[in-house]
Amino acid sequence: MHRTLVFSLTLFSSTCLLADTACPQHFAAGQRPMVTNPKMQPRTQEICYRAFAVLHSGLSRTPLYAAEHLTRQNMKNAAKLSRKDSFHAEDALPESDRAELEDYERSGYDRGHMAPNANFATRKAQAESFSLANMVPQVHENNAGVWAGIESAARQLASAEGDIYVISGPAFIGGKIKKIGNVMVPTHIWKVIYSPAQQRAGAYLVTNDDTRDYAVLTVSKLEKMVGLSLLPGLPQQVRDAGMALPKPEPRQDRRKKIKPQDEFTLRDFTSLLMDALNRAMKH
Amino acid sequence: MHHFKPYANESDVIRIGALEIENRTDRVSLTGDVVLTRDQAGLALARELHMLIGQVIKALQAEEKLPEIVEVKPAQVVKNPF
Repeated sequence: MHRTLVFSLTLFSSTCLLADTACPQHFAAGQRPMVTNPKMQPRTQEICYRAFAVLHSGLSRTPLYAAEHLTRQNMKNAAKLSRKDSFHAEDALPESDRAELEDYERSGYDRGHMAPNANFATRKAQAESFSLANMVPQVHENNAGVWAGIESAARQLASAEGDIYVISGPAFIGGKIKKIGNVMVPTHIWKVIYSPAQQRAGAYLVTNDDTRDYAVLTVSKLEKMVGLSLLPGLPQQVRDAGMALPKPEPRQDRRKKIKPQDEFTLRDFTSLLMDALNRAMKH
Repeated sequence: MHHFKPYANESDVIRIGALEIENRTDRVSLTGDVVLTRDQAGLALARELHMLIGQVIKALQAEEKLPEIVEVKPAQVVKNPF
């Protein structure tokens, strides 16, 4: 067990306060995201793994984010996947805060990786990614569809540029939230990408349903929506400016042309948010 | 491959090519892709896939009352703590 824990019991007094991390190597400029929504602060715990870090919430029993530094070298090695893995509850978390396999059982939801196992170059790093501390309840069509496309786009960008920083996480928007067992079901899932080569950052956002649509937005817009300061080590201008993110491609035979109905569609951020709010109001 | 017992647990994950096979107690999900090349490697992968599907069919046929559609537990709706 090479994990180190930092209990975030320190009072969150000011946004200037830097959050301590035991694994700065996973974060852009060595600084981990900060929780800016005070309601999200209780029962949070950082968990450092070999190849990624999460901030876990005992309220949602999900990660609030998972952060990784993807490098071209890792992408090369990650192609050699191990043959067998196993989903497991997180030993580093108290039982009262963590998700169990039973929470997801017969729920109809996938255990959706935030830091995807396909990113990791060693068997141990890959095995750690199957911790439920790295999972959110995700609609299968989403996980296997547009989200898989976004994950693949991130890997391709890391290979093309040499290295990128990625932060992925759930959003819980609206007055009412679905829950399976003790685990909250996110309304949205997002992925932030920071390219050191371009000095630019941007974010993908999808609703957690069978959508084939995705949105692209600036880091500062996403930060407001999710209640986290995601790239506190970077200049405000980088967080405000946005980035031209690659279009996610559907997973399929590369020799065939992609049919229009299989393509993922870039949509306006506000319409995605409105869809979620409308859905939340129906409950 | 040898220890994957379909529907036996919520934890096992195996891979055949880039196809990821996840064990759940109410489903077995296959996500990703696998290319069966016209060579020895293709035959080995095809056999693995064949064995897996064989085990799935056997497990489903052994059920006394296989439902028309599997039932999932409905999600609860709670106040958003955030």
